Amino acid sequence: MRQELLLEFFSEEIPAKLQQKAVLDAKETFVKILHSYGAEFREVNSFISPRRITIQVSFLIQKTRSLREEKRGPKISAPSSAINGFLNANGKDTSDLIERDGYYYLDLATEGLKTRELIGDMIEDFILKMPWSKSMRWYLEKEKTLSAFWVRPIRSILCIYDTEPLEIYIKSVGLTTCSYTFGHRFLSPGKIQVSDFEDYKRKLEENHVMLDYEKKKNCIDKEITKKAASIGLHMLYDIPLLEEVAGLVEWPFVHIGSIDEKFMKLPLAVLSTSMKVHQKYFTLTYAGSVISPFFGTVTNVPGTDVMYSGFDRVLRARLSDAAFFYKEDLDVTLEAFAQRLSNVVFHEKLGSIAQKVDRMMSIANTREEHRTIALCKADLLTQMVGEFPELQGLMGEIYAKAQGEDSRVCTAIKEHYEPVNTNSNLPYTITGARVSFFDKLDTLVGLLGVGLKPTGSRDPLALRRIAFSIVRLLCDFRENVLTDGTLSWYIETLIDAYSEQGIALEHNTIEIVCEFLIDRLKTYIMDKFDIDSEIVDSVIKSFRSLDFDYRKAIVKAQDLKRLIESENFQIIKEAYKRAIGLIERRFANLTVDSICSIQFENPYMMHLQNSISNQETNPRDISIAVKAAEAVLTACDNVLINDENVDIRLNNLRLIKRFVELVNENIGNLEEL
Amino acid sequence: MKSFQDIIFDLQKYWAAQGCVIMQPYDTEVGAGTSHYATTLKALGDEYWDVAFVQPCRRPKDGRYADNPNRTQYYYQYQVILKPAPANPQDLYLNSLKAIGFDLDAHDIRFVEDDWENPSLGAAGLGWEVWCDGMEITQYTYFQQIGGIACSVVPVEITYGLERIATFMQNVESHFDINWNGREDDKKLTYGDVLKRFEYEFSCYNFDVASVDMLLEHFNDYEKECQKLLAHNLVMPAYEYALKANHCFNLLEARGVISVTERAGYISKIRTLTKNCCQAWVESLEEEA
Repeated sequence: MRQELLLEFFSEEIPAKLQQKAVLDAKETFVKILHSYGAEFREVNSFISPRRITIQVSFLIQKTRSLREEKRGPKISAPSSAINGFLNANGKDTSDLIERDGYYYLDLATEGLKTRELIGDMIEDFILKMPWSKSMRWYLEKEKTLSAFWVRPIRSILCIYDTEPLEIYIKSVGLTTCSYTFGHRFLSPGKIQVSDFEDYKRKLEENHVMLDYEKKKNCIDKEITKKAASIGLHMLYDIPLLEEVAGLVEWPFVHIGSIDEKFMKLPLAVLSTSMKVHQKYFTLTYAGSVISPFFGTVTNVPGTDVMYSGFDRVLRARLSDAAFFYKEDLDVTLEAFAQRLSNVVFHEKLGSIAQKVDRMMSIANTREEHRTIALCKADLLTQMVGEFPELQGLMGEIYAKAQGEDSRVCTAIKEHYEPVNTNSNLPYTITGARVSFFDKLDTLVGLLGVGLKPTGSRDPLALRRIAFSIVRLLCDFRENVLTDGTLSWYIETLIDAYSEQGIALEHNTIEIVCEFLIDRLKTYIMDKFDIDSEIVDSVIKSFRSLDFDYRKAIVKAQDLKRLIESENFQIIKEAYKRAIGLIERRFANLTVDSICSIQFENPYMMHLQNSISNQETNPRDISIAVKAAEAVLTACDNVLINDENVDIRLNNLRLIKRFVELVNENIGNLEEL
Repeated sequence: MKSFQDIIFDLQKYWAAQGCVIMQPYDTEVGAGTSHYATTLKALGDEYWDVAFVQPCRRPKDGRYADNPNRTQYYYQYQVILKPAPANPQDLYLNSLKAIGFDLDAHDIRFVEDDWENPSLGAAGLGWEVWCDGMEITQYTYFQQIGGIACSVVPVEITYGLERIATFMQNVESHFDINWNGREDDKKLTYGDVLKRFEYEFSCYNFDVASVDMLLEHFNDYEKECQKLLAHNLVMPAYEYALKANHCFNLLEARGVISVTERAGYISKIRTLTKNCCQAWVESLEEEA
């Protein structure tokens, strides 16, 4: 097509896990580069397959935009060194200087350039700027030096602009751009001449390269589903696996293989994890998620019998290992594994996992909790979890069932890791939820207590995620998790348990932990309920201590958001600010036990007293709060609050202060809103 | 059917034809062909170096008393280093598979990401494991740094798992069933005939009998010797002693006498030795130049 730019960076295999991000980065990076050259174009598209990243720019105009620019330099009286510096920096000489208003100017306008002549620089820029999370250099025979960084060595670059192939030497990778590409590594290994993107795409298809990643993914999904359905099976849907296998083939061919019957006694999770992690096979099930003795796999070339028997054989070897681990693990009780937890380091500064278990015991209550805690970490020492760390918890549950534990304990063992991620499921059982809370809180208290607070975006111990999970357990679990005391009771008890083990935490650990959790609570409320940061701040500030009811904070934040959007807000805020102004700091310690017992003679103050006691009995009713606010404002306008008589003055202030307290308790701290 | 030794002969001939020096195994215990000085030291510096060799590897902890069909504490790697990596190393590799008798059209060969790192060598690189019908048969790596020093000329390392390839080609399930000499009569010798007793006895030695006190002393002696040799600017002997210390550590680990915290300390000691050797090696090359 006319005015179309087609680039293909043909390399050795790009890791499957990097492809999805790379294809987006490629587009973004190239758009930025086009802008930086003042290029005019309609659209940039990017594509990826295991051995290539392709960029297509449509309607890339032959000339770049001309730029009008005049730049002011030093004063005419400035020393010549300054003037020369100005000239050098802009690549001009004295004859270009323009004098005006006592200053030198330079005319830096540039005429539009021929796009074709800029393409080489754009390619160099792209190679330089494309952000790979992991990249490498290789040796360039022509340059006698190492290449620029790329994910794997680039072997050729296709470049066609405005239907014409361009030959440009790209120094950073020691290659001259060309008019050909290559098809499938094994099915169509030869060179393919290309004239434009349509031609390129069509010829790649003919030569067994599916350029459209989404299409390839869907194709795999559909084919496996279809083949499985034909023998009455379902594919266990697994998007990350689907994405990975799509990134491993240039053209997908699907095969259904079989699992040796003797492995079918293994738990579903074990079979499925072993097949996925080691072999990238899909699990196939009968209706009702019952595992079947079949798997789905994807190959890069059409299958052969010898290939199929290879797949079955590799799986046999893998599953023999898994079956061996399973059998060995079942020979040992979870108690026996748990006894060896003193040899497993939890953290170098915080002792062993056995010590962690002891600390969790100190905040547990029910018998079920104690039993769960005693067993929940034991599976870390099983061979199966050693091989597949992602099965932790799940193996604990399976082995606990096998040794006849109470079913609620078994479930809680699995659940005590939940929620695993920001958005994943919470535990279902109360014991699971509480033990999960104990475990996470112990980690947070210990690590923050020895000063390992994350800095900036660096959070190698994932403390923010742990704290976020705690917030979710406290806010989202259907029951109250804190049944034995407030949050700070749990923290203090853990600190005591640490100290009994001879592990000294910083003296202000409670505050550090509370503040850290509150920080996550803030994010949680902002994101989940779409509430501004200022509103959440004012709610958090309105509590008297760092240990407050998180669920109440959520309710207040939602109420306050609604209030701010209504007309009632202004009057309450005004009254609040006037009241704060009157109380000032010197009366900050003024105590208000019961406003009802105070006797007022002034009718405005009596009215205010009534309004406020009404507010006390109906704390969440905004119309009553508005009436109280009006009464505050009227009283301030008509009464000398700071009466000469000390008793009257203090009583007036007590009443005003009570209003502030009620707003704090039920609405929020409005000082900075 | 291709015998175990024929696979090796074919690889030797193939890589010799590509211009490689065919070396013989290093005679000190190593955990991988990467530890041979022909890899570690020679990968540093600018000069051209294409080499191939078989390397017996010792990983004491992997022993299974010859009970496990695919896991042993002693096995063979075929190691190729091309420095600098040419423009077509993947093709050279695939052709080597053809040369040993692989029908590439009948198999599904894939390059699956597997970046490689060896903390005790301070080495890292990017590459893949090569899969043949779902089985890893080769490790393929572009070195980026060794002994903590960035490679000035990037080599490619191709490491074939010889037993894996042989079980595959001979269609047997256990390493011990591999036909070694290719005979089918009563003089046929298998991998098991050649190595099973070795495997069993060394598993016993590694796990149950090796003298801990002696090994601890050896470790310290080797460490000191390495440092002393470096002071004399004898880099290759110094490196050999770093390898010996490393093997002592591996044996101690197999004996189960090294705790988690101690482990980190040992690894750091070994890394320092290796790093110093690599540093001294690079400096000596610079002096020559």
